Amino acid sequence: MHTSSKLTKEFTKKWVKGLQICCSSKKNMDVLERKKKIKLCADIALASAKNATTSWSIALISEAKKEGENEILVDNLLGPESPFKQQKTIPLMSACHKRVRSKKILKRSCSVGQRMKKMGPPKSNLAIYIAKTLVKKRTQVLQRLVPGGESMDEFSLIKEALDYILSLRVQVDVMRSLAHAAEVSNQSDPNVFG
Amino acid sequence: MNPEFIESNAGVRSQGGIKWQQPQSFFIENDHHLQNMFTSGINIVKPDPGMDDSWAGLDAGAYGYQLGCGDHMFLHGNLTSVSVSPRKRKADKGQTLQVVSEKEKKIKRCSDGDSKITRQNSSNNNSNSNNSSKDKSKVSKVQKPDYIHVRARRGQATDSHSLAERVRREKISDRMKFLQDLVPGCNKITGKAGMLDEIINYVQSLQKQVEFLSMKLATVNPELDFNIDNAFTREMFESSTSEFPALACSSTNSAYFDQLNSLDQVVSYSGLDMGINSSEMGLRRSISAPVSVPEAFMDSSCFNQIQPTATWDADLQNLYKVEFEQGTLIPFQSHQFTGSNEASNLKMET
Repeated sequence: MHTSSKLTKEFTKKWVKGLQICCSSKKNMDVLERKKKIKLCADIALASAKNATTSWSIALISEAKKEGENEILVDNLLGPESPFKQQKTIPLMSACHKRVRSKKILKRSCSVGQRMKKMGPPKSNLAIYIAKTLVKKRTQVLQRLVPGGESMDEFSLIKEALDYILSLRVQVDVMRSLAHAAEVSNQSDPNVFG
Repeated sequence: MNPEFIESNAGVRSQGGIKWQQPQSFFIENDHHLQNMFTSGINIVKPDPGMDDSWAGLDAGAYGYQLGCGDHMFLHGNLTSVSVSPRKRKADKGQTLQVVSEKEKKIKRCSDGDSKITRQNSSNNNSNSNNSSKDKSKVSKVQKPDYIHVRARRGQATDSHSLAERVRREKISDRMKFLQDLVPGCNKITGKAGMLDEIINYVQSLQKQVEFLSMKLATVNPELDFNIDNAFTREMFESSTSEFPALACSSTNSAYFDQLNSLDQVVSYSGLDMGINSSEMGLRRSISAPVSVPEAFMDSSCFNQIQPTATWDADLQNLYKVEFEQGTLIPFQSHQFTGSNEASNLKMET
């Protein structure tokens, strides 16, 4: 997987950099804070490793930027691309939201009429209706899971979910190996040093 | 037969289109005709030159008929009937179905300009078969012999809308196939809802793993000091290969002592302070005693000392392979080093 190894490298680089920035700013954080920082760094690193090619990464970064304290971290990690990203995101998201909202209204108005007519031949339409609602519910859940998923139609949502899964895998692998290495070294050191 | 057929269709329409029972048996025999009517009706630009005369006549008649057809339930009813029928009537009327598919192919070849329409035509069948299989798998309702009832999708706005929807659905099903490869254990599930379910579960599990791992990392390191030189991490990446050489860990002792020797260089290279050197000396003393190095021991102790060097030894790589065999997932060495690095740094500082 050529692209994934490339992504892995990018991600680890940026993550390490982010963690260094994090720990240089504050000392003596408690566990939860540390965990949050680690995760945040990882997420931002993952998103920035994508270089704004996918909308979920854009959404993730814009979300992280909303909190004031993270902005410095984010900007440092992103480097020169960040101002472009900021300009892109705001109109994009608002347009998407508007589109989605108008679509929803239209759908609702259509579906009401449809549902009335559908009661005619009950069984087949009930089957379809059930299938559709199942799919709809699941797409809603998926929208909530994938960052920036609310303002996406079904097709692009699946595409984004695909990409997101790949990147999440990379993230998990990297973090796992790091954690394992840290664990191993922790276990061995006390034995040696007594 | 054809004119009769058309008249009966008109009769059906005039009833308001809801009651399908009457022409039901008739449709079962002739829905392939309907299918052709539909496809040819949509293919407004060019009638298929390769068609037989009978088909041509039917199309001409159907075309006028279809234009006047405002009831798109009829349209979709045809689609559904045809899509289901292949499964039902495999033995009987394979020939007619072949004709249908051939005709579609011809349509494809002929009207290249109307790629959208032809694609939609083929995608109609595909998506129909997909959808009907979906319905079968997802919904427990049995598809009855009067399969025209299955998806009498009424009230869909216009032709273009429904066709666009078909295209969209085909795209989605393509993506779903790709996702099947990605998400483990999705090969058996065909329905959209089931696939989405698996995807959701997988994304959730990955996110939870990230949370858990970040928590673990937070607890492992009392301080978040990952004192890793960016320069040498980059070097590590460049020199490391994604695939490892075959494990040949027989030369354990030599490898081991090689690494011990390389430590000095590495230490200076990575810019660690002198405190670490003393710890490594201590390690060396303690470790040099056992001659035969079991793998576990190598795992725990060696990685403390092993610092990445500018030049990879094959022996080093073998050791990493051992590590991987022990428990790690991926061919990604650098983090073990970074982990050991930071841990040793911590030990020095605390």
